Amino acid sequence: MNDRTAHLTDIFIDSFVPLLMAGIKFTIPLTIISFILGFVLAFLTALARLSRWSILQRVAWFYVWIIRGTPLLVQLFIIFYGLPSIGVVIDAFTAAVIGFSISVGAYGSEIMRAAIQSIAKGQWEAAYSVGMTRSQALRRIVLPQAARVSLPPLANSFISLLKDTSLAATVTLTELFQKGQQITAVVYEPLLLYCEVALIYLIFSTVLSALQHQLEHRFDRYAAR
Amino acid sequence: MIEINDLRLSFGSNEVLKGIDLSIEKGQVTVIIGPSGSGKTTLLRCINLLEIPTEGMLRIGDSALSFREGNKPGRGDILAFRRKTGMVFQSYNLFPHMTALQNVMEAQVIVQKKSRAEAKERSMELLGKVGLAGKADSYPHQLSGGQQQRVGIARAMGIGPELLLFDEPTSALDPELVGEVLKVIKELAVEGMTMAIVTHEMKFASQVADRIVFMDEGIIMEQGSPNEVLNHPAQERTRQFLSLLSEPV
Repeated sequence: MNDRTAHLTDIFIDSFVPLLMAGIKFTIPLTIISFILGFVLAFLTALARLSRWSILQRVAWFYVWIIRGTPLLVQLFIIFYGLPSIGVVIDAFTAAVIGFSISVGAYGSEIMRAAIQSIAKGQWEAAYSVGMTRSQALRRIVLPQAARVSLPPLANSFISLLKDTSLAATVTLTELFQKGQQITAVVYEPLLLYCEVALIYLIFSTVLSALQHQLEHRFDRYAAR
Repeated sequence: MIEINDLRLSFGSNEVLKGIDLSIEKGQVTVIIGPSGSGKTTLLRCINLLEIPTEGMLRIGDSALSFREGNKPGRGDILAFRRKTGMVFQSYNLFPHMTALQNVMEAQVIVQKKSRAEAKERSMELLGKVGLAGKADSYPHQLSGGQQQRVGIARAMGIGPELLLFDEPTSALDPELVGEVLKVIKELAVEGMTMAIVTHEMKFASQVADRIVFMDEGIIMEQGSPNEVLNHPAQERTRQFLSLLSEPV
């Protein structure tokens, strides 16, 4: 093994634990917390979009319109760098959680709305015909089926979110990507370090894909094929 | 026991039901026949309030609902009325994420607030009645069409309806599976279940019906005993319709 290779191997090994720790300390919690909050927001927004009250429909539509129509990076800058000028100071982690949750809420609500609407009208009618109310039909009959439909696209957004959290580097959060930048600044091996960062994202997302697979498998017991 | 008075339904300017008057006695089986687009399925859906009539009156036992243009009954009234009827759908519409047993139990637990044990006992009894006690734990996709439809009948029976509605219950079935579903319906008729059935199975209709109703273009053209309507129709339209059916009655 020549000196250059030995040198790179050392850097790779020395960097691995700090990078992994940055991922475990920030990237993973940021992803999980944002997704949970975003999921709740998405569900409420989807219900609002499908509600009978037009005011709720319009509020939900407006929210989705704004968030989908503007870059996530710009939204993060507004929350972290913009809001302090009107006296709202939020720490970097919270700002990132807010930004990502709002984003997941908007995209996720469209996934859920589509999933709910994909359930055949006959399912609603069958539920009504045995005397269920609208909310009973939704809870007991439509949502369990919609959950199955929405699982793959929601898992997609979960994995997207994992990678999008690298944007939090721009609001001073030392998550996985920024840690990579910091180490690069010292050792100046950008190709090696950024590939290593990519590898760690890949490890995380592979674990998530495996979880998704498990969940889909559990839903499959009633799948007609 | 069941009374329908001057029932009308319009979708926009298209009047689908043009004033239906019909009464069904307790324990009677009424079979509704007629060409497609005649409004027979819509009539069933109105009785189940899946469609809200534009005008007219519906009465089951001692509860009645009146409909007028621009005046819908409240949601509570609709629910209470609907719970007196059960519906069996052409395409079964079983809940795919539930076993046969759960399909039958669900409304008893969720709507009627029966205990799970009580609902389960009643549901097993009903599944036994439709010959599917052995399939209680199967999911719909594991069942044949005929079996699914029999679960559909047990589900509709589960809430203890005073009137059971069948919307072309065998039309989606392969021919060899039609018989098992018709057999179950015949048994219910023998037990005295009040039923309104939309079907194209004329032989079955003549066997099971106390009354046959012939509908065309949103009105009842003719009604009477199977012998009267099927063998000695008074109306030209009825004769035309019957002669178009290849099946000998």
